[in-house]
Amino acid sequence: MDNDYFSIDAILAENQKVQCKFKQRIPEMGHLGGGSERDITPLNKRQIPIWLAYIIIYSDWADFDIPRPFSNKVRNALRAEPRSVRLSNLVGAGTGWYVFGKTIMDMLGDEQGVEMSEMLVTTFKGRLVDVIDQAQHFAALGPVGGGGGGGIDSAPQMFREGLDTTERELFVLAQESAWRMKKWYEESSGGTKRVS
Amino acid sequence: MSLPQSLRTSITPPELEFIASQQLIEIIPLIAMEKTAFISGAFGPLQPPRRAKIPLWIAINLKLKKKCHIVAPEWLSVEFLQSRLDEELSEPGYSRLPFRYAEVSKVLLDVASDDIQNTDKIRSLLKDLREARQAKSREGLEELNRSELSLSNLSSMEINEIRPFFVHAMGILTHLHRDASTED
Repeated sequence: MDNDYFSIDAILAENQKVQCKFKQRIPEMGHLGGGSERDITPLNKRQIPIWLAYIIIYSDWADFDIPRPFSNKVRNALRAEPRSVRLSNLVGAGTGWYVFGKTIMDMLGDEQGVEMSEMLVTTFKGRLVDVIDQAQHFAALGPVGGGGGGGIDSAPQMFREGLDTTERELFVLAQESAWRMKKWYEESSGGTKRVS
Repeated sequence: MSLPQSLRTSITPPELEFIASQQLIEIIPLIAMEKTAFISGAFGPLQPPRRAKIPLWIAINLKLKKKCHIVAPEWLSVEFLQSRLDEELSEPGYSRLPFRYAEVSKVLLDVASDDIQNTDKIRSLLKDLREARQAKSREGLEELNRSELSLSNLSSMEINEIRPFFVHAMGILTHLHRDASTED
């Protein structure tokens, strides 16, 4: 999740589209939005992927709106209870909400950027403890898998399904280290040595 | 690095046990041994029934062959652990325990349980200590910020357990942070 050129997370995040409102007329680029016009006229709205939108916005040819995953509705839901929002549904499959948020944040001006950063950080910290708790609970089921809980606890399971990709990485890290500890505590140090 | 992905994040517990086994421990030998040179140094001579200090790994080896008795370190006793447990439960910080207490205690309880008094009570005290400290780590998780975290008196096994995801989470927080004065 860096500004690293090769970071897969960054590449996937930049593939997401944002709604841009063009300020100038751009000849012969109408096909970008999938429309049938030849030119883009001012005040025209198009969905442009971020990697393209970067340049367009920095060159001041368009403005963009904050995308739906970070709208006020989502913001309010997160402020109320960060753990109940399903982050994995908000952005398309394969990208994380946090990574996308960071990409957008880099493009915003200072004031909105700081606001956005606070939202991301508060959400992350609010969900972190639950992520780790669940990971340690799942350590008992083995290092991989353990995804199907038999449907007995549905609230934790729904939380797990709503985890963002970055949170899933953390989950796996915590689960593995808890599993390793458990395994070590259970095996005996004296029994396996050969006695000659 | 040619390590598999899962091993890159931290040291494994058996490796920590190996490192902890280099600590010196006191034994009562049952056999005689001359001063022998090992890679890490010369130990011995062992003259029963005089006590001697040797590395833990030699002690375990001799014990399994029934050639010595191990003298429990002073912290591996009910009184010491009980007082530490009480301290743990009453104070917000972590209590002071030997840095590698988890590894050494597990090894000694497995191998030399007949040389230690009240092994059941000690086992349960150690378990309680571990759980109390884990609960404190969990609280510390809520205070996580991107720049620093100071948890004093954690033991090596506990540090190793929480390091992967603590460090990763701090990294993510660094990415998500945005200073008001930079950019544009």
